[in-house]
Amino acid sequence: MEMTDFSKPIRQSSKGIIIIFAFNTVKFFKKFFVILVASGVSILKSKSLGNITPTMLILGVLGILITILVIAILKYLNFKFHLSEDDFHLASGIINRDNTIIPKSKIQNVYIKQNFLQQIINVVSVKIETAGDKKSEIEISALDKPTALLLKEKLFSKNILENEIKEPVNERDVFFSVSPKRLLLEGLSQNHFKSFLLITTFVFGLYSEFESYLKELKLDKQIDDFVNQEESTILNLLITNAIIVINVVLISLLFSVIKTFIINFNLEVVEHQKTVEINKGLFNKVSLSLTPSRIQNLVVTTNRVKQYLGLHSLSVKQAMVDAKQQKNFNIVALEKEQLNYLIDKLLLNYTEDQGELAKPNRYYMRISALEILLFLIIANGLSIAAFGLVMLWINTVFVPLAVLYVYFAYKKAYYRISDDFVTIGSGVIDTTTNILQIHKIQSVKIKQTIFQKPKSIASLVISTASKSVTIPYISKQDAISIYNLLLYKVESQDRDWM
Amino acid sequence: MTFTNLQIDTESIPSIDDVVLKPISKAYLKIIALNKLMICTVLISAVFLGKYFIEKNEESLPINFWYVLAAVIVFCIVNLIVSFLAFKKRKYAIRAHDVIYAKGLIVHSIVTVPMSRIQHVEESRSWLARSFGLATLNIYTAGESGSDLSIRGLPYLEATQIKDIISAKVNGND
Repeated sequence: MEMTDFSKPIRQSSKGIIIIFAFNTVKFFKKFFVILVASGVSILKSKSLGNITPTMLILGVLGILITILVIAILKYLNFKFHLSEDDFHLASGIINRDNTIIPKSKIQNVYIKQNFLQQIINVVSVKIETAGDKKSEIEISALDKPTALLLKEKLFSKNILENEIKEPVNERDVFFSVSPKRLLLEGLSQNHFKSFLLITTFVFGLYSEFESYLKELKLDKQIDDFVNQEESTILNLLITNAIIVINVVLISLLFSVIKTFIINFNLEVVEHQKTVEINKGLFNKVSLSLTPSRIQNLVVTTNRVKQYLGLHSLSVKQAMVDAKQQKNFNIVALEKEQLNYLIDKLLLNYTEDQGELAKPNRYYMRISALEILLFLIIANGLSIAAFGLVMLWINTVFVPLAVLYVYFAYKKAYYRISDDFVTIGSGVIDTTTNILQIHKIQSVKIKQTIFQKPKSIASLVISTASKSVTIPYISKQDAISIYNLLLYKVESQDRDWM
Repeated sequence: MTFTNLQIDTESIPSIDDVVLKPISKAYLKIIALNKLMICTVLISAVFLGKYFIEKNEESLPINFWYVLAAVIVFCIVNLIVSFLAFKKRKYAIRAHDVIYAKGLIVHSIVTVPMSRIQHVEESRSWLARSFGLATLNIYTAGESGSDLSIRGLPYLEATQIKDIISAKVNGND
């Protein structure tokens, strides 16, 4: 392979024109979509608008496309970058020439991504992120893969010395790669309540939309007869409802499976000496690296079914990463041992049962009971208003669910505070474990409402650079002593948070 | 490397219970009062404006109007009382290693930000605050916006002093 010389200004791969062109076209049509459709429809209807005929419209669109193409070519020609000893230089812009210089030491992350189009024409895009505001990031949209990898390596070459991260260059130690079967299980065992609710509301909305249509078509009477027939016995009603519910469940299952596959296709965790790399995605391939020093929180999620199947998700919250990327730092379908190994790699000396396990006050149950009661009252009110008193039977389903909700919310809530870590467990259907390192705490907060004061109960909010976690409803005394302890540790250790 | 792992005596750790929190300047109460009065005026005039437009079109609905007005006025009075009472809860303290700020009547919170986690400090003054000789101290951390502190209603002199102390500490650590 020919090594690319980065010391002289170079352009990206000439395929970049296609990428820029496609990107700008999509952007343009997104912006003017409404106007275009409206004018297009009115032209087609009346065959002309003012003096514009369909042919002229097509010509107009062609003209716009050519303009975008010309802009894309100019952009490509003017987009040049090179590396000097300590900096990354980028010249861009057609009329306004921008010259961007980024010191290598200030580069926070380098991502390699590949969307669907880029996969087809076999190029990757390299995204360079710096600390600071979101506008300061740079994307080179078309490089062939070896060049991109080389560039990434070169960009980090200075950092390596500073952060003492030494990565073996050609060693690829694939620690974990997911099989389609496990992805399927992962998708199936997801918490379907959310998508269930979404689809239910969607179906209801659709039904009410159709109601007016049906009336218009004078079909409503037939439908009503049909429905009445069906509803003549309670058994029938139950069967119809059951069929609807099963359908909705099936749809939400399918939805989850497809989503899981698209996002996590070919998920691969590669282990380097100090860092961990994640590769995944079907249409949008991403390659990310995790640096232990930048990790702020770890969130482990699983649920009953997943636990049984040995599926755990690990979400890594890093500092200085924008919200869109944050979602991608998520590794699904891990076995328990793999999870523990990975956590051990990312957090030194962490073990699960470090520190004493403590639970929130029973007040927690009362609060969640109150919350769910409020929800029940509203739900009942709505259903009675919409369907009459018949719908009260639904409480036979809701009330046990509510009781289970309160029970599990309390059962799964706990916290542990050890020498270096805070672990907080929560969840109702999911079991969520939040882990954070004490020396990465940014601030601590005690919260107490006026109703909690007589009972001397308070909540503790612990913030790191990427997430705030709450230890809910513990006794004020405990809250204060944890507060003092955490602050003492942060302030006396003098360790860097990043 | 010699590794020591001394037991920490939780009793002897400095506690926030022992810290004497300082109330913010009394003058800030005036600013709160002015702000709240302004909101009330806006709300009440909005109600009257609404009445004017509805009457123009439909001529009736006066009963509803009085209910709405009463509700708005009650809301304003409660809001004013709560924010007056909450004023007493606004307190702060600067320790050698951290900054503490407490506030809130209905939801009382005490936030502490260690000095070593502060990214930068700034002191800002609105037009109103300037005329009362007050200032706001904004303390930024690298964390989520939730962990940033903003102490309002400090006497200007004190705000600058605190700012200098914190800046010196933050820069000294580097």
